[in-house]
Amino acid sequence: MPDHACCVCSQPASSSIGSRWFCGKHHQSATRERPHTWRLSFLLVLGLVTFVGLVYLLDLLLHPALTGTPLILAGVLLALVPAFLWMVFFYLQDRIEPEPKSYILGVFLLGALLASAVGIPVVEDLFHVSKWIYTDTATTLLGSILVVGFIQEFLKYAAVRYSVYSSAEFDEATDGVIYATAAGLGYATVLNLQFVIANGGVALGSSVIRMVVVALAQASFAGITGYFLGRARFEKKSWWWLPSGLALASVGNGLFNWLRGRIVQTGISLTGPSTNPWLGLLLAAVVALVTLGLILWLIRRNIRTALAAK
Amino acid sequence: MNATSVPSKSNSTAFRFADLAVVLVTLAALLAGWLLKNSVENRSIPFESSGLRAQSPRGWLTSAPVGGEVLHVTNPFASGFGTTYSLQLVPGSLDKTYADPQKPDEFTLVPRDATFGEVTNFLTLQHAQALSDFRLLDQKQVTVFGQPAYEIDYVYVESNPDLTHNQLPNIVRGLDYIFLNGDHAIVATYWADEKAFEADMGRFLQFLKSLEF
Repeated sequence: MPDHACCVCSQPASSSIGSRWFCGKHHQSATRERPHTWRLSFLLVLGLVTFVGLVYLLDLLLHPALTGTPLILAGVLLALVPAFLWMVFFYLQDRIEPEPKSYILGVFLLGALLASAVGIPVVEDLFHVSKWIYTDTATTLLGSILVVGFIQEFLKYAAVRYSVYSSAEFDEATDGVIYATAAGLGYATVLNLQFVIANGGVALGSSVIRMVVVALAQASFAGITGYFLGRARFEKKSWWWLPSGLALASVGNGLFNWLRGRIVQTGISLTGPSTNPWLGLLLAAVVALVTLGLILWLIRRNIRTALAAK
Repeated sequence: MNATSVPSKSNSTAFRFADLAVVLVTLAALLAGWLLKNSVENRSIPFESSGLRAQSPRGWLTSAPVGGEVLHVTNPFASGFGTTYSLQLVPGSLDKTYADPQKPDEFTLVPRDATFGEVTNFLTLQHAQALSDFRLLDQKQVTVFGQPAYEIDYVYVESNPDLTHNQLPNIVRGLDYIFLNGDHAIVATYWADEKAFEADMGRFLQFLKSLEF
């Protein structure tokens, strides 16, 4: 009778990675080299940039006058393509024991559902955020963190914590990041869809950039919470560990929203044509990219630690 | 050991505390956000003109008063039609009649010692001429923070006259509160998009509460 069972299939285990035990088959699957990961990730980002460039160019050259259903369909496409590409990008980062695709899709849908059923109604209909948040800089920043940031990050946290978190498939700390980014991308897809629908005749060329950045940001901030969730699952952590992760992600999310909100402010200001309306989006994109870098670094560190302890 | 018994701390007491702490921290943040929202919405600046004093919402756009108006402020952050408050002084006159459409320059005059009914007729006619698709919904005598007043509830359609403007017109709900003060009538007006009317009403009541004449 073996002392340990495989954490994936419950069969007798023969080797371990960190505190987890695996049978021969799953250990081989968890530790096999994936040399193509970096190349695929690079190709995905390149694909994303090409997609944005293509849509921007088409909009610039053809000036498509889409209305009604065609516009909505174009919006759905523009919202889903970046979310899908980012999801594959994050999925590829999970080198040890990649998660079942059905679970990832399920958490993505749960994130989208929570955004649609709870997040957007609470932010827009209960807090009426757009009516007061842009009053002044301090209010925008505080409101973005306390209301928008915490609601969004808590719902993404809940999408993971109360679904796959207790399942056997959640078998390494990195899984927290992978599932949380899926929830974040689900949330971002609904936000982007809402943006297209609410703006009816939105310029598709410029909005596709916004959608790609929003998707990246929502996934990255959720990734922070996911990292804290993952560590809490397998290590003994203090009670303040999870709230700290959520607060950190909310601050990042709020900072991103505040910077992006500068577009709105410049839109109604009287400072004239010298104002660059893209500055806010650019700064917000920088915050999202820095967060992405942090998430990737944390994932790699987790994997290195797990493999070193093998 | 079964498939669900992955090495985990998620069932420990500390983890349950952490779980609860996440919910509590979120609730605390939302409570702070709600207080921030209230504090922003209740920020005001004192207004005083022609013997009228009120606390006008801070950060709203002030338009140049038209006709008998002494104050006209609009929320610039509202989506669609911007919620608007205005104060209007309707002076009395001994020898001029009030509702004569042929004499628009004399249109803001009501008889001295006018009754609520007369001022209401004057305002209704004024709105019917100035506002698209004006419809009177209700009118009644009320008491507003201890002051006798008359309330006119109405609706109209606000539309950008620019033919190339490609947005749907807004349905605007309006409320006029008429206060008689000697030979003047003071009219406090509230206009809001019909979707935001109920939600924005509380803020207007605060404005109304601050009104002194």
